[in-house]
Amino acid sequence: MEKTIKDGVESLMDYIMKNCLWQFNSRTWDRVEQNKNILEKATQIMCAEEVSKDTPSERYYWAEAQQMVESFLETFPWIKTMNATEIKEMMAGLKKRLDYQTITGSLNKELDDPNY
Amino acid sequence: MSYHEFDCSKCIPERVKHAVDKNPGEELSDALPLGYLNTIPGSLSERGCAYCGAKHVIGTPMKDVIHISHGPIGCTYDTWQTKRYISDNDNFQLKYTFATDMKEKNIIFGAEKILKANIIEAFKAFPKIKRMTIYQTCASALIGDDIEAVAQDVMDEMPDVDIFVCNSPGFAGPSQSGGHHKINIAWVNKKVGQVEPKITSDHVINYVGEYNIQGDQEVMVDYFKRMGLQVLSTFTGNGSYDELRSMHRADLNVLECARSAEYICNELRKRYGIPRMDIDGCGFEPLSSSLRKIGLFFGIEDRANAIIEAETKRWKPELDWYKERLQGKKVCLWPGGSKLWHWAHAIHAEMGLEVVSVYTKFGHQGDMEKGISRCEVGALAIDDPNELESVEAMYKLKPDLIITGKRPGEVAKKIRVPYLNAHAYHNGPYKGYEGWVRFARDIYNAVYSPIHQLAFVDISKDEIATDQSFVTRQMLSDGKLSADVVNSTVLHEYTGEFDSLKRLRNAKYPEFPLQGKLAAV
Repeated sequence: MEKTIKDGVESLMDYIMKNCLWQFNSRTWDRVEQNKNILEKATQIMCAEEVSKDTPSERYYWAEAQQMVESFLETFPWIKTMNATEIKEMMAGLKKRLDYQTITGSLNKELDDPNY
Repeated sequence: MSYHEFDCSKCIPERVKHAVDKNPGEELSDALPLGYLNTIPGSLSERGCAYCGAKHVIGTPMKDVIHISHGPIGCTYDTWQTKRYISDNDNFQLKYTFATDMKEKNIIFGAEKILKANIIEAFKAFPKIKRMTIYQTCASALIGDDIEAVAQDVMDEMPDVDIFVCNSPGFAGPSQSGGHHKINIAWVNKKVGQVEPKITSDHVINYVGEYNIQGDQEVMVDYFKRMGLQVLSTFTGNGSYDELRSMHRADLNVLECARSAEYICNELRKRYGIPRMDIDGCGFEPLSSSLRKIGLFFGIEDRANAIIEAETKRWKPELDWYKERLQGKKVCLWPGGSKLWHWAHAIHAEMGLEVVSVYTKFGHQGDMEKGISRCEVGALAIDDPNELESVEAMYKLKPDLIITGKRPGEVAKKIRVPYLNAHAYHNGPYKGYEGWVRFARDIYNAVYSPIHQLAFVDISKDEIATDQSFVTRQMLSDGKLSADVVNSTVLHEYTGEFDSLKRLRNAKYPEFPLQGKLAAV
C-alpha cells in the first residue's frame, strides 16, 4: 500500500500542476493559505466528512476542492478503493510535495514581496 | 530543467537564466526562467512600456469613455487600433483616440493649460460621453504636470463628468506589466466603491482580466447569463466605467488573465472579502471545469452542467475533425503573458499539437511556473527573447506554426514559418466552445496553406511540374489519414457563422427571480 500511496501522490500532483491554477497565486502567504485550505477540504470531501462553507472564502475553497475531487475520481478511479486513513496519508504527502514545489523550493523570487 | 544558452546570446551572459529546457525527471524547483526584470543592455527586448500596459491593454477597452493621453502624439497613435478589443456600442473606444499632442515648447513651458483645454474640447465633441480616463506619458511625467489637479478643476466646472487619472508613464516599469499593476491599484484606490449598483440576481460576479478581444467577453458572458449570473462589471473588455466603480458589490471575482489583473482581485479580496477564482476560458475541458466550479460556488452547478453538455455535443465533432489533422504538428506558443499557460495543455490535449516552445514577452516568474507545468517535456521556455534568439529557436525547433504577436510574427513569416496572432487573433473569438473550434480552424488553415510549399519554389532554377494542379489544404492534410477518418459522417469542419457574435448580441436569457441573498450551500 505504501508504494500505491506514493504513486498516488505523484499522479495527483501531476494532475494539479497540469490542470489547476489555485496553487499559483503570487505570494508565499497566499500559496500557504490556498494549499492548506483547498487540500484540507479536498481530503474532507474524499473521506465523506463534513465540510464548512459558511463564509465566502470557505465556499470558494470548497468549490475548488469539490471540482478537483470530481476530476480526481473520474481520472483516477483507484481512489475509490482507498479507505479514509489511506486517503489522508496520500493527501498529506500531496500537500508536502505541493508546498515544496510551489513555496519552499520555488525559485520564484516575487513570492516574498510583501505587497501585491 | 536546465538553463538554455542561445548561441547568439553568448555575448550577453545574463540571458542564460532567462531560458530553460524542460527535461525529463526535472521540476520547477530545479530551474525557472527569471522574468520581469529591467531590460539587459544590448539584448534589444521587444517588450512594450508601462504606459502601453496601462492604457492600451487595460484602460482603453472600457467602452463608454474618452481615453486621452497627455503626451506626444506618437504614444497615443501607436496604441490605437492595434488590439481588437471590440464593444457592443459600435466600438466607440476603437474608433476614436485622443491626445494632447505635447510638443517641445510644452516640455519647456508646461502643458497643463493645453490638457485642460483638450479635456473640455473632447467632452464637447462627444456630449453623450461623460466619462474620461487620462493617461500620463513619459513626457508629461518628466515635466511634472499635475494631471489630477487639472482633472479635478474640470470635474468642479462640469459636475456631470467623472475623470480617472492613470499615472503610468512608459518608464514606470520594465514592461507592459508595470502598467497593468499601476492601473489596477489606481482604479481600486480611486474609483471602486463610488457607485452603488442595482442587483438583479442572487449570484453576482465581476469578470476580471478579460478584454473582449474579437468578442471573447461576450462569449463568456453569454454562458454566465445562461447560468443566471449577474455580471456586475467586466474589467475591462466591453466594460462600462460606472459598472467598474461598483465592483465592491460582487460575491465572486472570476479571474481570467491573472497576469494583468490579479492585483485588483487581491485588493478586492483584502478590502471587501470577495474571493478570487482563477479560470480558463479556453479549451473544452478547462472551460467546463471553470463553469462547473463557478456553478458550485453559487450552488447552481446543474445550470453549468446543462451548458457544458449542450455546447460539447454541438462543437466536439468539429474540434475532433481538426484534431485528427493536426496531430503531431509542432507549435511555438509565444504570447505575451498568460496565454502560454491558458493554452499550452489544452492545444496539446484537444488539438494534438506538440508545443515545442513556450515564451512570455512581459510575464513574471509565476507565469513561467504555470506555463512550464502545463507544457510537455522537451519544450523550451523563454522569457522575453529578442529577435535573434527567436530566429535561432525557430531554426532549431522547426515548428509548423508560431502563435505569437504581430511583431515577432512578421519575423516568423520572413523565414517562412506560418504565424497566428495570439493577441488580437485572426478569426476570433477564440474563447468558449465554438471559439476553440474557430481557433483550431485558423491553426489548420495556417499549417496546411498551400502557399508554404509554393513559397519555397524558386522559379529561376527549380523544376516546375506542368502536369499537376495546385493542391488544397484538405489534400495536404488528409493524405495520411485512414479512410474511416476521412469519410467520417460524425466529424466535420467548422459550420459556424462568419460572425459568431451576432446571435449573442440578440440573445434572450432565462429569468431567475431574486430569492434573497445566497444561503450557505
